[in-house]
Amino acid sequence: MSLLIKTNPMQQQQSPFNTNESNKRVVLQTRALNLWYGENHALKNINLPMTENEVTAIIGPSGCGKSTYIKTLNRMVEVVPNVKISGEIQYRDRNIFDKNYLVEELRTRVGMVFQKPNPFPKSIFENVAYGPKIHGIRNKKILKEIVEKSLRGAAIWDEVKDRLNENAYGLSGGQQQRLCIARCLAIEPDVILMDEPTSALDPKSTLKVEELIQNLKENYSIVIVTHNMQQAARISDKTAFFLNGEVVEYDDTNIIFSTPNDKRTEDYITGRFG
Amino acid sequence: MVIRGQFETELTQLKSEIIMLGTMVENAFDETIKGIKNKQYGKMEPIILNDEKINRLELDINERATLMIAKQQPVASDLRKIIVSLKVSSDLERMGDLTVDMAKAFKRMVDKEELGHFEKELITIASKAKAMMKAVLVAYQEGNVLEAQKIASMDDEVDRAYGQFVQSIFKVVAVETGVTESITQMAFISRYIERIADYCTNIAEWIIYEVNGKRFDLN
Repeated sequence: MSLLIKTNPMQQQQSPFNTNESNKRVVLQTRALNLWYGENHALKNINLPMTENEVTAIIGPSGCGKSTYIKTLNRMVEVVPNVKISGEIQYRDRNIFDKNYLVEELRTRVGMVFQKPNPFPKSIFENVAYGPKIHGIRNKKILKEIVEKSLRGAAIWDEVKDRLNENAYGLSGGQQQRLCIARCLAIEPDVILMDEPTSALDPKSTLKVEELIQNLKENYSIVIVTHNMQQAARISDKTAFFLNGEVVEYDDTNIIFSTPNDKRTEDYITGRFG
Repeated sequence: MVIRGQFETELTQLKSEIIMLGTMVENAFDETIKGIKNKQYGKMEPIILNDEKINRLELDINERATLMIAKQQPVASDLRKIIVSLKVSSDLERMGDLTVDMAKAFKRMVDKEELGHFEKELITIASKAKAMMKAVLVAYQEGNVLEAQKIASMDDEVDRAYGQFVQSIFKVVAVETGVTESITQMAFISRYIERIADYCTNIAEWIIYEVNGKRFDLN
């Protein structure tokens, strides 16, 4: 059974937010997205662009729909029972809800990193090689290359290169999270979704991951959900503020954190509620 | 419970301190003008010495504002309030320095030729500047953009009066002897008053920035 409700194209609205971009392409374009958990209308008419080689931060108080939204971007949300979705999300000009679109294919292109580091109970090497192996790569030399490249990409190679065969559980929390990012990079995604990737990390590991995110955006487009507003201000190019399932404001991060347009955004970022 | 109630209180305290600083500068300016008006050269010294208190309060405000940035990590309007407090206090401190310069210049006029009606004109310009000071402090306290915008036209008046004043006193140098020192000091004093009015305009611009988040050139 399809989870999709057909949307009337007339209902699709242009984003009311400032989305004009000079050269950068939109990787993920959300249009008139609505999502219900049973009767609960969790996302209401979301219209958002995610731009190539940029970090887009999603902020908002608990229960505002930001995690639901990010999980919708690679259709992870569909594992929740009684989910209904209408509207569309175009990933590089293709609607991800299209019935011909294989979810595995989408998730290869749109990878995800979670709040708590979740390495497999395997060696460091196997954690990273797991994805490529599933995609049929068996050549050891190629796998080694992929593992090194991914670990380097996640800025953890120097810390683990001499212990690749050790169990990943032996790594610190911050290292485990960067390993998970390496695992995500190993399948060469285009977009990386991060759901509060540093909320379980200490300040130093947090800064390392933030630094990494800044470097990763040269090659990837990143969407990050964060409760840490200073983090959103530090690392993102664009920020979307969610409240009660709606996008209240979307703009350049510099504008959101200096002169937001909406009083609710101002109140949230200055810590007056939430 | 008010979220960030403590921070709100600190922001209010910061503003109160700046108003206090402004009032101290305003009083110093007032005393200087009264002294000039009543030829009380002896009144200048306490004004000069009192500037130390103004400087110290400005440093206190800087310290307080810096700590608030470090501890509270303010953004948007909160951050603007703190940044503007630093700017306004610095402008007020400069106004205090200029008041001291006025007092020093007036002291140098002791035993020199008196210039009766010119002094009256000088007092008139000073009253205009005083009105600006008062108005800008009220506008800052209230965050009143409309009142802040009115400061610009008051500054135009001061500039005009200053221009005319300087022209007219230097005409006297050409025809009268023995007045050069007094005329020069008067020209200095009027110049300081004009600068003080400029600082009031600066503060008015900061008020607009604090409220709207946009810089606005009132000059």
